[in-house]
Formats: sequence, C-alpha cells, structure tokens
Amino acid sequence: MSTRKPRGELDIYRRVLDHVLLDADGLPCGIVDEIEAEGGLGEPLAIVTLLVGPAAWTRRLPAFFAIVAHLLAGSRIVRVPWSEVAEIGEQIRLCSSAVELGLGVADRRAGRWLAHLPLSEEHPE
Amino acid sequence: MQILEIFLGILTAMGGFVEVGELTFMLNAGSKFDYRLLWVVALGTIGIMVYGEIAGRIAAVRGQPVFNVVRERAGIRLGLLTLVSATLVCLLTCAAEIGGIALLWQLMSGLPYRLLIALALAFLLVVVWCLPFKWIERVFGLFGLFMVVFMVVVWMAHPDWGAVAAGFVPTLPEGPTDQRLLQSYYAVALLSSVMLPYETYFYASGGIEDKWKAKDVPMNRVIVIIGFLLGGALAGSIMIVGKSLLGPLQIEAQLPGTAAIVVAMKIGRVGMWCALTGMFFAFAGAAIETALSCAYNIAQFFGWPYGKKRAPRTASRFALTWIAAFVLAALIVLTGVDPIRVVEYSIVFSVVILPLTYFPLMALSRDREVMGEHVNGVLANTLGWFYFVLVCIVAAAAIPLLILTHGGEG
Repeated sequence: MSTRKPRGELDIYRRVLDHVLLDADGLPCGIVDEIEAEGGLGEPLAIVTLLVGPAAWTRRLPAFFAIVAHLLAGSRIVRVPWSEVAEIGEQIRLCSSAVELGLGVADRRAGRWLAHLPLSEEHPE
Repeated sequence: MQILEIFLGILTAMGGFVEVGELTFMLNAGSKFDYRLLWVVALGTIGIMVYGEIAGRIAAVRGQPVFNVVRERAGIRLGLLTLVSATLVCLLTCAAEIGGIALLWQLMSGLPYRLLIALALAFLLVVVWCLPFKWIERVFGLFGLFMVVFMVVVWMAHPDWGAVAAGFVPTLPEGPTDQRLLQSYYAVALLSSVMLPYETYFYASGGIEDKWKAKDVPMNRVIVIIGFLLGGALAGSIMIVGKSLLGPLQIEAQLPGTAAIVVAMKIGRVGMWCALTGMFFAFAGAAIETALSCAYNIAQFFGWPYGKKRAPRTASRFALTWIAAFVLAALIVLTGVDPIRVVEYSIVFSVVILPLTYFPLMALSRDREVMGEHVNGVLANTLGWFYFVLVCIVAAAAIPLLILTHGGEG
C-alpha cells in the first residue's frame, strides 16, 4: 500500500507523525517523533523537517514525564529534511541510508560491542 | 507446503498455549469451583482468537506488528503508557516462567533453587542467541504438546460429562460473600490467563518475521481458530483434572510439580515424565516469548531494527533488550519471591492493560482506507467490540478483586 510522496495536501497526523522510517536499504531507522513545518498566517503549512530521537518525543510528554524520559533516553535529535522522503505508506521510505542521515547511531555503536560475541554476525535462518 | 505450514502453526499455537500461571489457575479453579468456571475458559479462548486474528491480519496486510499500530494510533503519550505497562507485565511473566523452570528442575534433581534459576537463565540465553526463530517457535511449541497427557488423564478419570457440559453455561457466583468474591477473582484471572496479551504481541511479530502477506490472511485465520481452540481444550482439561483429582483431596496446587504428581497418580511414571517434559517446554517457550515480546514491543515502538532473523550485530538494541529482559526476570525470582505469586499478579495486571493494546488494533482493523478488502467484517466487528467492552469491565474489576480476596487467598 505504499504510495509515492504526495505533492498536494497531506494529513500529517494520520500519515506521517509516529510512522516508522525506513532508509534506502529498507532498514528501520527510527520513528517520526516530531515535525517542523513553515507557513505564514492563513497560508498552507509546508513540512520542512522530520525530527527523530529522544529529544523530539520527550517534549510531547507532560512536563514531569518529559524530564524523567529525558534523563533515561538522552537528548539526541536528528533532523531529516523533507526532501529525503521518497515514499509514504505504512512506513516512510527515505532516499539515503541511515548512516548518511546520522540515524541509527546507537544501534551501530551497540553492534560494534556485540560483534565481540560469537555468532553475532550470523544470520540465524 | 502451505498445508504443512498451517499444520505446524496449529500444533505450535496449541503447544504454546499453556504457561505456568494458566496451569496453576486452571488446577486450582477446578479444585475449588468444580466445573463452574469452564465457561470462562471458553469465553477467553474465543477472545484470544478474535484478538489474535486481528493482530495477525494487520501484520499480514499492513506489515505492522502490534506496537507499530499502538504508536501510530495512540500517539506517544498513551502509547508510552501502554508500552511501559506491557513491558512490566511481560517481565513479571518471564520471571514466573524462569521460576517455574527452576522449580521443575528442582523436583527432578534436588539441586538448590537459586542455582537452578541461574542455570535456567544461561539455558534460555544460549537457546535464543543460537537458535533461529523457526526452530525456537517449533521446538518449544511442539514439545509443549506433551501437555496433551492432561487430556489423557481426563479421559481416564471418567468425569461426569453432563456436569462438564453444564460448566460451559455461564453462572453467577454462589454462596457467602467471600466465596462469591473469590469465584469472581478466579473468573477474572482465568479470562486473563487465557487472553494473555504477550501471546498476541509475539504472534503478530512472528507474522512479520515470517514475512506474511495479504495472501496469508486465510492461513492466519485457520491457525488462530484451530490452534487456540485446541489450546483452550487443553486448558479446560487441566481444570477438569483439578476438579477430578485435586478437588476430592482438597489440595491447592502451590507448585507446578503438583500437576505432574496428579498425572503420576493416574498413569504412572511415564505420564509424569510426559507432563514434566511438556511443562518444561511450555514454561521455557513462554519465558522466551515474553522476553522477546519485551524486545519486539520496544523496538517496534521506537522504530529500531528488530527481529530474530537479523544478525544480533545489525539489530543490536533489540538483542540487548531481550538479554536484559531475561537477566532482569531472573533477578526478580532470585530475590526469593514465590514465582506462582509473581505470575498471579502478572496475570491480573495483564487484563488491566489489555484494553490499551486492544483499542488501537480495533481502530485500525475497521478502517477500510488502510485495510482495504481485509477490513473487519460484521462478525469481527461485533466480536471485537464485545470483547473490548468485556475486557474494559474485567480490567476495572481486576484490582479491586485482587485486594478484596487478598490476592486470591479468600
């Protein structure tokens, strides 16, 4: 049910916010945690950037929980330009790889650590 | 090939249906209330079929597991509350299963309980790290079928089949107030133990792992209906065993080993070993499913790469999360807390969180714009909303009943 990136109006709450991001290789690399848009009074809004990371989703929580979540999850945020979006469907597909966009850093860091364990490189099919 | 897939799926669903909490609740419900709560098992079995079918259908049609849907439909606030509650309940259930394995091994070896918890933890870590998803699913599901020995015991115990049939007719609790409260508590706990939410999280995530597509919707339907029906029959058999063999002796099962001894009373040593084997694989399977469910849920909610089919190196946070879940669960039971008590609480809290995951799935599965021709039909909508209202009522009653009955002590 994937569709190409629409050019006209888009329901960003239903179709973009809180949707999974897939990079150019099809690897999940985060969720659209927040959206930055621009547009003057009375003008249609245009999405500029998708925000990904704890610093983006913690500010959507009530104040107390935001502080706790911020302490636990950290303050990383990655800005993905809207021009990087290739397709919008159940997931949002990006044009570049997670590495190029600076997404999935924690996974790669933990992966380097796990690589010291036996069978960590195996594809267990 | 697909017939074999369906056949194995059904057997796996059946073999993985019963876990330590369900086992003890079923035995004790039979011992305390005869067949009067069999209708709750039937009600819960239809409920898990409805819930599982919807979750599996969404996974097949949209490629979305449960916590993707929760995040998308409930948003970050309610979604995060659901995630935290579901993870805590999965952790408690995992702790109880590890404790259950250690108790079974203690019955067989006489070794110290805490040492056996550590060994069980090591065993589970090695199994999940080394074995592929398909093997884990099949080995633990299929060997869990040794639990069918409880059905054999029922057949040999010659129960009053008229009374058994009467147990499927819903009745209100009878007797003095404390007895009525206790029976209500057991009804809530039994419903929850049959409809444990982790089964659905794991089932839908399994569909994603197996790359289900829209063409697999009929297979999903057959597996949940027949597999869970047979699983429900197995759970009902355990209740009948409790009534037939524990009830007359006024024994309350405090340890999972009681179930094996009950089987030994009827069919001797071979039956006891079958029961112990079945229980071991069922408990270990449930421990693995709950630990992996913790990792699946968190990874799906935050959009991490996940899956047992990815190398741990490429789904590293997912791998570290299930390892942490096993370790935390083992630490809970290492404190010396009674695993049966832990599972009782986890079962009651499970039903409290059920509406939180149920609602987003219902909302999405009835949305024609996203589900297309696979949108809920009249039956799925009717049953889905009926069970949603039911689990809301049960969720509201669960904690007060837990307090009023002193945790089921009466």
